Amino acid sequence: MSAATPRSGPTRRVVFVHDPRMAQFELHADHPFKPIRMELTRSLLVHAGLLEQAEVIAPRPPNDDDLLTVHASEYVEAVRELSAGGPQTDAARYGLGTADNPIFPGMHGLVSLICAGTVTAMDSVATGAALRAVNLGGGLHHAMRARASGFCLYNDLALAIRRAVDVHGLRVAYVDLDAHHGDGVQWLFYDDPNVMTISLHESGHYLFPGTGHTYETGKGAGRGLSVNVPLEPYTEDDSYLAAFDAVVPAALRAFAPNVILLQAGADPHRYDPLADLSLTLTGMRDSYRRVVALADELTGGRLVATGGGGYDPYRTVPRAWAQLWAAVTGREVPSSLPDAWLEEWRDLLPSGSELPHLALDGQGDFPPRPKREQITRRNGVIAQRVVEALTAVWQDTGLGGAVTSR
Amino acid sequence: MLVNEIMTRKVVAIGPDTPIRDVQLLMEQRNIRHFPILEERSKGALDSLVGIVSDRDLRLVGADHPRAPANVTAADPVKRVMVTNVLVAHPDDPIEETAKVLRDNKIGAMPVMDDGRLVGIVTGIDMLDALIFMSGVREASSRLEVELADRPGALAGLLDRVASRNVNVSSVMTSRADEGSVAFVLRVGTFDGHGLADHLRGLGYNVLWPPEASEA
Repeated sequence: MSAATPRSGPTRRVVFVHDPRMAQFELHADHPFKPIRMELTRSLLVHAGLLEQAEVIAPRPPNDDDLLTVHASEYVEAVRELSAGGPQTDAARYGLGTADNPIFPGMHGLVSLICAGTVTAMDSVATGAALRAVNLGGGLHHAMRARASGFCLYNDLALAIRRAVDVHGLRVAYVDLDAHHGDGVQWLFYDDPNVMTISLHESGHYLFPGTGHTYETGKGAGRGLSVNVPLEPYTEDDSYLAAFDAVVPAALRAFAPNVILLQAGADPHRYDPLADLSLTLTGMRDSYRRVVALADELTGGRLVATGGGGYDPYRTVPRAWAQLWAAVTGREVPSSLPDAWLEEWRDLLPSGSELPHLALDGQGDFPPRPKREQITRRNGVIAQRVVEALTAVWQDTGLGGAVTSR
Repeated sequence: MLVNEIMTRKVVAIGPDTPIRDVQLLMEQRNIRHFPILEERSKGALDSLVGIVSDRDLRLVGADHPRAPANVTAADPVKRVMVTNVLVAHPDDPIEETAKVLRDNKIGAMPVMDDGRLVGIVTGIDMLDALIFMSGVREASSRLEVELADRPGALAGLLDRVASRNVNVSSVMTSRADEGSVAFVLRVGTFDGHGLADHLRGLGYNVLWPPEASEA
């Protein structure tokens, strides 16, 4: 494989996992999680011609055996019963029936389908049927072994990782660019030598879930394989990408994975109402491109990507995930978004909501953040601290040796 | 939180006639920094506290240092370097009180005595562990910081409002106190901290974190 050679032309064999049912649900009307963002994204890709060479496939039939590779059977059983309208006496034990994680009919089947989508994406890449695969419905990184958390019922990412490791014998690097710490995935593989988790997020000191500190570095056989870059609120593109560049390539090169799983939550954007990072579409696009380039360098290009958070469903999410898809397929999103897309949705959005006309944010759209310099300096210190701490651990565990012997 | 909940119960106690060298060895082998020194009161039991010795007292023996004890060698009994006016804690003491005594007297540890019996030892490190626990994140949650009037019911009112949104509060800490007002940091069990903050602002609360959407 030619490691860092830039690719020319579109990447072939990229799978887009799609099932209309993944977008046709609602937690409840005023819940911040808006499934419409997936249909908006797919429609944008269609109108921009970006899905033309893709292989659109359906998730494999959901099955409980997949779920049980990660989740406790009593939890799956409880969710299934609540999903069917059973009594809610035990719900709170499992984090369900709260404002964040309401109980809704059919939730077990729906989230099982989303999980099957990410497992299907991983299977396509692991078997070589495709070079890359994307499931925008996936990315439920907060779900724990026996507890729903942060809008996440089952952890599709963890299921896909388990399958890649157990069935396909792969070493998996998980890269989480959601504004929130990828706590569920991190804790589920905290001592696993076959899985490295990397999360860039707004610091848990300020934002949900409150974890993802630099000192969370893995334990036992997984020591040094949990990587966390907690960033200051209001972090902008340059500082974000500098932190990415300081930590992520070194970590991935040290680990030498066979496949990268990317969680591309769209909530680091400045417009996102639930988090406080201040990225623009340009910064987000560049972060996706960096992950794809690292896959080209380290895994022969093998990459699976999912969606995740993203609570500005009209202006931000479709544009972010169009950039994600373009990066994964080696193409460009047209700088002016297709009129046909704007037209299709004109009368379907809630009043006061409007779709953007341009793929990227304008140079003058956002004034610079006050305290930009302090924030940049602070993020630089954090990134350096992470690299120094982990390099010491990798030397100790012999992980660094994998890099030099390549 | 009480001393009882954070103290170390398994205490390595030594007699006053133990050679300093042996105690130094114990200190290094067991990674212990403070040794209560007990005497035999009833036959066969070390049950009367007569002193305490710290790693610093032990390290100064024979050292070329202005504070090194004169004419003491490692072969001498430990009573030559022990401190005899020992400050002690009780298992039911609140830890903030114990922390204050440690701080004011610039000492690192206190034996914990109950009814004349040594039941544990509490150190500055135990205080740090308690701080980490108290300020820590017990479950997935968001930070909410609110300034309240310093009057009865103000915090209760806030907690009521949070509860009515079906949101759990997993910890509460004071972040600062001014004339007439107190700021509290709450860890709230919701992903949508901004939504909760905006709701509270709508009710007239001065929410310090998270910021309003328009500022974001």
